[in-house]
Amino acid sequence: MELENIEIEGSHKNFFTPTVKFDAQTGICELSGESFLEDTAEFYKPLVDWLVEFTTKIKKPIAFIIKLTYFNTSTSRCILDLLNVLKDYEDEGGEVTVNWHYDENDSDMQEDIEDYMIDTGLNINIIPF
Amino acid sequence: MESVTTNKRRATDNVCISYTGLFDSEILTILAQGIEGTLTSNDKVTKKVFKIFLELAQNISQYSLEREPNSSGESMGVGTMLIKEYDDYFQFSTGNKTTMESIIPVIEKCDNINSMTRDKLREYRRLQRNMPASNKGGGNIGLIQVALTADNPIEYGVVKCEDNNYFYIVSVKINK
Repeated sequence: MELENIEIEGSHKNFFTPTVKFDAQTGICELSGESFLEDTAEFYKPLVDWLVEFTTKIKKPIAFIIKLTYFNTSTSRCILDLLNVLKDYEDEGGEVTVNWHYDENDSDMQEDIEDYMIDTGLNINIIPF
Repeated sequence: MESVTTNKRRATDNVCISYTGLFDSEILTILAQGIEGTLTSNDKVTKKVFKIFLELAQNISQYSLEREPNSSGESMGVGTMLIKEYDDYFQFSTGNKTTMESIIPVIEKCDNINSMTRDKLREYRRLQRNMPASNKGGGNIGLIQVALTADNPIEYGVVKCEDNNYFYIVSVKINK
């Protein structure tokens, strides 16, 4: 079963595209930068589909790393979708680590991460930088 | 006609940035950069203004009754935004045309948001985030996010226009 890696370079002009690196060999998946997109659902759907493929077919340990400095509310729903896939995987015995890095001065972001933990039931390592 | 005014500080009227015109992705990016470049005194506050701007500006692009085509021919909303600076806070306001039918649920939502404590508001955001997104993808959580980011009530006003539609103004304070 071959699953192609996802690599998207972020940009900060005409909407803000996050940087995405999903690696099927190592199981390390990183989402960083800023997320404010014209069609948020269209951007995130392949990422959710990729995680579903990885967690149902490849079934290796997964490390999900978030380093987003800004995301809008449309994106916040898609992040929930991604985390819910990881939670399902964990519930079925998959090995999941979620590290969420945030600017320690950004207390709003810290609250956001805490709320995602309540929502998903996932343990998220909150890492200030 | 579009017009952008960016000043470091105008002693007379406290205006930092004002803009009236089309809210498309190009102008959103220019205004976002204007915010990042103009309100430089405190990163945390600048980031809050930036976040609030993007949520409210996107509402104008999507929901303003007054619409014009952008350079690629897409119909985009027309509206106004204004950032004023005072000693202890920034006042961020946007305005756009709407109908009475569209405005009533928004006003009810603002009143509901303003009646909640921060913890309740976070709970409400979680609830809304778990509901299906509206067809325009706004997620129904933009205003909740604005109130949480500003950490102040959402002020609003409605003015009747000559064409019998309404001009809806939403405004928040962001403490320094």
